[in-house]
Amino acid sequence: MLSKLRLLIYGMVLAMVLPLAAQAKTFYWISHGSPADPVWTYFLQGAEMWAKSTGQTVKTSFHNGDVPAQQEALRAAIAAKADGIVTTSPDPGSLVDIVKEAKQAGIPLINFNTPDPSAHFQAYVGTDLVVVGKGWAQYLVDHNFVKKGDFVWMPVEVPGASYGVEETKGIKEVFDPLGITYEVTETTLDQAEIITRMSDYLNANKAKIKAIIGLGDLATGSIKRVFDQVGVKAGEIPVVGWGNSLDTTSEVTEGYVNAAQWQDPQATSYLALTLAMMATDGVPPAFNITTGALYEKDTADVYAKVMSAK
Amino acid sequence: MQRLFSRPEFGPLVLLIVELVVFQSINSQFLSVLNISNTLAFSVELGLVALGMTLLMTSGEFDLSVGSVFGLSPVIMWSLFNSGALPLEAAFVAGLLIAALIGFVNGWFVIRLKIPSFLVTLGMLLIARGTALFITDGFPQRTWDASGQWLAEVLVGDFYVGPFRIYMSLFWFILAAVILGYVLTQTKFGNWVQASGGNPGAAQARGVNVGRTKIILFVLSAVLSAFAGIISSIRTSAANPNSGTGYELEVIAMVVIGGTALTGGRGTIIGTVIGIFILRIMRNGIVMVGVPGLAYNIFIGAIILGMMALHSGLERRHQSGN
Repeated sequence: MLSKLRLLIYGMVLAMVLPLAAQAKTFYWISHGSPADPVWTYFLQGAEMWAKSTGQTVKTSFHNGDVPAQQEALRAAIAAKADGIVTTSPDPGSLVDIVKEAKQAGIPLINFNTPDPSAHFQAYVGTDLVVVGKGWAQYLVDHNFVKKGDFVWMPVEVPGASYGVEETKGIKEVFDPLGITYEVTETTLDQAEIITRMSDYLNANKAKIKAIIGLGDLATGSIKRVFDQVGVKAGEIPVVGWGNSLDTTSEVTEGYVNAAQWQDPQATSYLALTLAMMATDGVPPAFNITTGALYEKDTADVYAKVMSAK
Repeated sequence: MQRLFSRPEFGPLVLLIVELVVFQSINSQFLSVLNISNTLAFSVELGLVALGMTLLMTSGEFDLSVGSVFGLSPVIMWSLFNSGALPLEAAFVAGLLIAALIGFVNGWFVIRLKIPSFLVTLGMLLIARGTALFITDGFPQRTWDASGQWLAEVLVGDFYVGPFRIYMSLFWFILAAVILGYVLTQTKFGNWVQASGGNPGAAQARGVNVGRTKIILFVLSAVLSAFAGIISSIRTSAANPNSGTGYELEVIAMVVIGGTALTGGRGTIIGTVIGIFILRIMRNGIVMVGVPGLAYNIFIGAIILGMMALHSGLERRHQSGN
């Protein structure tokens, strides 16, 4: 009697689970970022939220800027017959062949966070980094913070990484014709080292720095601590830069940073996965989605709330 | 004077003085109160790690996991405190105990399983870093709730002497340097440390418990790294799971430049203190003299090579008795 009852329960559970299992698709979310980078934790959060809300399976991986490792992960996803893949571009041109392989296998491949037009992805979701850089430079010019002959300091965690390079291109478009000079310096990814290096540089060049553009989130999010260490008051030197961390939203609120760029990290992952799923349902996306907004003191709280909702 | 010249710390001291003179002559703000104050803030945090490493290297072993313990212990401490699981004092002790356990495991693997410390601590580096990432999901732990806590004030509170901003961490560093310097040069345990690194077989034959001595030093190295990491997390208002990445190599360089033998058997705490300031002042000075931002690493690398060449020359001269 008991064994029959058990059999019946097993049968009922299987009957409930099998249709669900049949419906669930598997997507791969593959990033060139680092799991230790606070911004990437928000991107990851978006992917996890999407999986939870839609009931689909999302397999995530980080590759710390290691191009061969990311290529291997993408090929593994193709070999595993993924229903869809969303990925960032670690370096321009590095995923050209893989995009072709995914197309041949009939797997939708959506690009997010870092664009690479040369690879011909099905769609791109994220910010245009050149436009972001241009926006920062234009903000400083429009608000009369910098003029011809002025010098702007641009700290970045990893010089040469695609995000800083693209942003600098945009900044150059605005500053070069106006005769505004600038210098990029390395902060590294280590918080104590960032504060030390930025404090040293600011201390040595305080007199000539008319504005600061934080090319990365850790650099911008360290401004308050650097200013406090060197004895610079909030607002004494205008600052713009990335604003994807709670450190920066509080800096904007307190007046240390004038304006910060929100990248919509959770939304970027969410939308990229949505496009991939749409493609698997036979509706191919033939458009890109641009995310992001430059915020000031009056709206900083909105983004702080988004980031606090862990 | 002859005694001063014959000391192993003489070469590094000359290097430090040369460095100070060159940077000050290029930028008169180099020895300004503000710059000295800023340089001391981070130097002493790395310095605490280097002091532990000096004793360990004197005993003939390495610890490559110091950087990840520097990151992991504050993450554990602040995770426990921020979640309300423990008060700050107990969370602080928990952070140090985890570090002590890591040091013990390192030592146990090296001594009992006879695996080279390079490999054991490389494995532990990955375990500790991965643990920090796993328990935080990659998010930095908030540390600004520490304001007003007596423990945070004792560990890293700051005060002004005239225009000079001094962090409490400087006193912890001085205290650790004095105690470890005394232990290494004036106590029986110090003799055991040097004997364990110089000739472990002979030391064992003369009754020195080489294994136990080394395990104690692995624990000390890990606990000092954790202590430095906790201090750093309060000062920088962030306990990042990736804090301390790459510190192990910088710390080993500080110890070696200071005059401790890479192969063990000879170590000097005074030399390490000088080595710490040689490397940190060099990084600060490069920025102060205004080298182009993206050329920073070229200059750092070139100066390290130049200093090591000068160090080697002074060392040869010292050993030949001139």
